[in-house]
Amino acid sequence: MSVDFWLGVGVIAGIYGIFVLGLQINVGFTGLINLGQAGFMSIGAYAMGMLVTDAGWSIWTAMPVAIVIAIAAGLLVGLPSLRLRADYFAIATIAFAEIVRYTFQNADFAGGNQGIIGYDQEWRDISDWLLDRLTPLGLGDLTQLPLFLAIWITFTLCLILLKLLQASPWGRVLKAIREDEDAVAALGKNVFAYKLQSLAFAAALAAIAGFFLSFNVTYLYPSEFDPTFTFLGYAALVLGGYASYGGVALGTVLLWSVMEGLRFLQLPLGTGQIGALRFVIIGLILILASMLRPQGLLGRKAEMQLRG
Amino acid sequence: MSLAEDILAIEGLEKSYGGLHAVAGASFTVGRGSITALIGPNGAGKTTLFDLITGFTRPDGGRVRFEGKAIAGLPPHRVARLGLVRTFQLTRVFAAMTVMENMMLAPRDQPGESLLGLIAARGRHRQSEASSRDRAVALLRQFNLENKAGDYAGTLSGGQRKLLELARALMAEPRMVLLDEPMAGVNRVLGRRLLDYVAELRQSSGMTFLFVEHDMDVVMTRADHVVVMAEGAVISEGPPDYVRTDPRVIDAYLGRPAG
Repeated sequence: MSVDFWLGVGVIAGIYGIFVLGLQINVGFTGLINLGQAGFMSIGAYAMGMLVTDAGWSIWTAMPVAIVIAIAAGLLVGLPSLRLRADYFAIATIAFAEIVRYTFQNADFAGGNQGIIGYDQEWRDISDWLLDRLTPLGLGDLTQLPLFLAIWITFTLCLILLKLLQASPWGRVLKAIREDEDAVAALGKNVFAYKLQSLAFAAALAAIAGFFLSFNVTYLYPSEFDPTFTFLGYAALVLGGYASYGGVALGTVLLWSVMEGLRFLQLPLGTGQIGALRFVIIGLILILASMLRPQGLLGRKAEMQLRG
Repeated sequence: MSLAEDILAIEGLEKSYGGLHAVAGASFTVGRGSITALIGPNGAGKTTLFDLITGFTRPDGGRVRFEGKAIAGLPPHRVARLGLVRTFQLTRVFAAMTVMENMMLAPRDQPGESLLGLIAARGRHRQSEASSRDRAVALLRQFNLENKAGDYAGTLSGGQRKLLELARALMAEPRMVLLDEPMAGVNRVLGRRLLDYVAELRQSSGMTFLFVEHDMDVVMTRADHVVVMAEGAVISEGPPDYVRTDPRVIDAYLGRPAG
């Protein structure tokens, strides 16, 4: 188990971390069950990839524009579906994510199943530059280190921003919507507008996670963004704690340490079987966790019980 | 009593669900600064009427005017922003938020409630938070909830929740409050205290109250105007003494012979 291997785990955990921060603001702090997060992530990543490869943009202008496009997608999905009851909203969002994925899979402009390649040169340049600087420290062999650092610095900045927002009156309204949206409306707050903003934040965070995912895998193809990504995100959210931004980091690191660490199990099984066994074990951990600690590692038990 | 000015005027309000006329052409007015009771047998349409006035349900027909402005069909938050705030029959506190957070949510037009305001109006936002907190502390003291400020609202008793809901509504600085069964599930001592606050507030700030209540003792002693609904329509209104002896009211409560 080399350091590079665990850096790789940290990279995946960090990408999920940013992705799940977006789920947390929806699920944990607004009470919106967003099952379409992978859809927003693919729109962000593809928008960036296409702006660079097709339109010849610099990645540094492509990324902010791609975030705006993902936010616009969030608003577009939210406008009709946020008026639905919570469970129908969840269904609408997963349908949206699947529509996006199948579109990318079958549309010529998105490269179909071949996907998109060759958008990440500017990132590679930065990564190499950083590795050169790290060589005198004896860290030059850790090729994943620049990405790892970029991801976790981004995660930390997003975490701080979200915590500040949650402590503000704006965050207070979101939390109250989670508790009882009619009572919030009766006090003169435009619930719909707040839900849209919450969804916009989730979409933006998903897009950022998508950029890092695309740097990590070096090419974009549709099946990276299947609903499993969202569901594993929920697993990390449940594990780390409902309505806790700090729990997101803990949950994703834990989930991916177990997922990847299990590869080293010495069992008389084929690799495919061990791969499947990982999900069985994760499932068991989730069941145990929900029995022993339903609020998650950093969630608040009292709040969970009061909500009933 | 002089009916110098009406704060709320309801005209021919209608709402049907399938074949059921929940509210069938109800009309009445509420005088500014009055404490008006809305009574009627179960199923008379009182809660539906509240929902229609406050925008939670869209009327099929009729008009609602609040301070001269037509409000029928406006969404709930727009109605509330005009200064018409309601409470609910089944108390709705934000259970997993503290009592203080419940209070702090309520004031209207807080600069820190918008993302833009958080960035552009930091000074005003701080000021507004501080003054809201002062008002919240004062109100909680008045309602004997100051020791509960840091507790989750979900841990309060039923009566304390009713008090919190009223206190929270007052944080929004309404000109009129609609109370849907403020006494339901509240012990008599707390209930009386709640009504004392209502009377005080009307006295001190001229606030108007419209409340649904089943306890006739309370209605007759606390309200200065009574509106009686039955089967979706207003069948009588006037001072308590008049309504009490109105044969139509007695009919509605005791039931008419079948047929």
